[in-house]
Amino acid sequence: MELKICHLFPDVLNLYGDRGNVVCMQKRLGWRGIDVSVTGISIGQKLKASDYDLFFIGGGQDFEQEVLLEDLKGEKTREIKAAVNDGKTFLAICGGYQMLGSYYKTWDGQQCDFIGALDLYTVGHKDRMIGNYMFTCDELGGQTVVGFENHSGKTYLGSGLRPIGKVLSGYGNNGEDGMEGARFNNVFCTYSHGCLLPKNPVLADHILKTALAHKYGTAELAPLDDTIETNAHRYMENRLRK
Amino acid sequence: MKKLRIMIALIVCRLARAAIRLLGRGGTDLPGRLALKICPDLLGVLAKTVTVVIVTGTNGKTTTSRMIEQAFIDAGISYFANKTGANLISGITAEFAVHSTLTGKCKHTHAVIESDEAAFKLVSKYIDPKAVLVTNVFRDQLDRYGEVTHTLNNIRIGLSNCKNATVCLNADDSLSASLAQELPNRIVFYGVNTPIYKTRVEEVSDAPYCIHCKSEYVYDFVTYGHLGGYRCPNCGYHRPTPDVAVTEVLAADTEHSEVAIEMDGVRYDTNVNLPGGYNIYNAVSAMAAGKALGLDPAVVNQSLSQFSCGFGRMEKFDIDGHSLRMILIKNPAGCNQVLNFLTDATEPFLFVACLNDRAFDGKDISWIWDVDFEKLTEMGDLLTGVIVSGVRADDMATRFKYAGIPKEKLRIIKDYSELCKACLAQDKPVFIMPTYTAMLDLRATISKNYGFKNFWE
Repeated sequence: MELKICHLFPDVLNLYGDRGNVVCMQKRLGWRGIDVSVTGISIGQKLKASDYDLFFIGGGQDFEQEVLLEDLKGEKTREIKAAVNDGKTFLAICGGYQMLGSYYKTWDGQQCDFIGALDLYTVGHKDRMIGNYMFTCDELGGQTVVGFENHSGKTYLGSGLRPIGKVLSGYGNNGEDGMEGARFNNVFCTYSHGCLLPKNPVLADHILKTALAHKYGTAELAPLDDTIETNAHRYMENRLRK
Repeated sequence: MKKLRIMIALIVCRLARAAIRLLGRGGTDLPGRLALKICPDLLGVLAKTVTVVIVTGTNGKTTTSRMIEQAFIDAGISYFANKTGANLISGITAEFAVHSTLTGKCKHTHAVIESDEAAFKLVSKYIDPKAVLVTNVFRDQLDRYGEVTHTLNNIRIGLSNCKNATVCLNADDSLSASLAQELPNRIVFYGVNTPIYKTRVEEVSDAPYCIHCKSEYVYDFVTYGHLGGYRCPNCGYHRPTPDVAVTEVLAADTEHSEVAIEMDGVRYDTNVNLPGGYNIYNAVSAMAAGKALGLDPAVVNQSLSQFSCGFGRMEKFDIDGHSLRMILIKNPAGCNQVLNFLTDATEPFLFVACLNDRAFDGKDISWIWDVDFEKLTEMGDLLTGVIVSGVRADDMATRFKYAGIPKEKLRIIKDYSELCKACLAQDKPVFIMPTYTAMLDLRATISKNYGFKNFWE
């Protein structure tokens, strides 16, 4: 078995340790003897989405995200939309999550059009939503996910989308409706840095299984010794439950 | 009335500090806050007659301040400094307060003031410095400071308050060097004209795109991070020629560096008595500050070989023949420089990482995943082991697991006394990398258990 990972804009959307998610997926596949390759595709490079099984998009600074917008127009947008609709697996975090949506509107009303692969939009706010946070995830059997959010955009989901989880502590998508992230086909979106996957190994394996199942029909992953990861998860879970 | 208010503020401030130190703590914030409550413009009153140099920027503030301080000592200048790292307006005010008479007159002619980047715009409203030194701008604790452009803006606003200051800027940092363009002030650029590390870790650049036109920079050379010889192929923005420049690295080991610094047509062979390429930057910036302040460059140059480092900044503890070096880390850029330094090592060592996530450490620890710890794994047997500690020890352990450190080399020890014992139970040099509050706690344990001075002594 082999999984081909595409890391979109690794040199621009590289804030908040999000690249750790790629490291984590690589290792967890490698430990199980599954081949994995990671290809970075950045500004000015051609994206052929059908070459890959799993796409990762992280968050970046506003300054650098602006650099991206021009590059995203046209072909890359078409490729990403097609991959989403084909059921390819995506993990998109923070800025990457917002970018899959329709648009971002700044607090003073300026609108920035995004990829539009998902029916969601984001509105900028003056106050940032910052801190450790936690949400439950139904598709993980109610297991919690812990992470760190840091965003000024409030994201609202359209009718075709469901959230990835319900907020137990912190803000989530907008601090208003108790929802966190978004799910559509095999797309996973969240605001969670932290880094997300290493200390949420159950979610990491769920995403890897999704990508493998889409490619090979079925997928089972051998269990790993996750003592260290689970301790990191439990520490934050207990702290946020207090 | 005003005079009485000043006097009361000064008395309260000193009493509070004395009381807190009697309780065995540093007392770096509260006394100043109380004094400012009583007399909001106290800092302005106290700083009026003092020749001040302010040091700000993301990394290297404390070490550079210690270098300038040594130059003041060697030049026979009467000065004081906010040495305990209390670099917000409260801490700076308290430092002025304890060095003033009760009528508000400073007992010294000069002051070396380290200022937090965000606090700088406030501090500069009250202090009219003779020189301002900006070390660099890197991504810092994003939960506190926001994005780098935000930090840069804070410094820009602060500088606009400093009408009479000579401003020392890092020519190699495209972010902070850009501040020169809108300043009427006299500028002294400093920089390093040559690579400084044998090998470098993989780092993400904090500024790959032109600050003016957003085109990608072209680099003639890189020293570390986004520092080096950059130019924008689109709008022409480029590294200015430094007035004070390191032209050659003559020698570098785990104890010191020797470099050649050129300034005003004269070459100085400089011995920097702290290791690490980033301390070469601190040294050349201190030479620039000396130039801005009108100090004799030969004196400043000599001072660099004999200054005492700030607490926790490569600070060395010798305990029963064991060598422990503590290297404070605050952000990925700083941490990568520590790794650049360590991966040049030729003798085996033990590595300790203490990760806390209190406000002063940065509440978001995500950055540990931006740091190339994989380079430590590649060192093989030169790295005898890794011990992780601190509030977020489990996250740190997870990071090292995914960096490929073998299970048997990785230990988690949360208790600091036990941690010290483990360091002393083996015979290799130990490099400890703590975040800010972890450094204070660990230092307190070392002071208590092995009889070293507290940080405010």
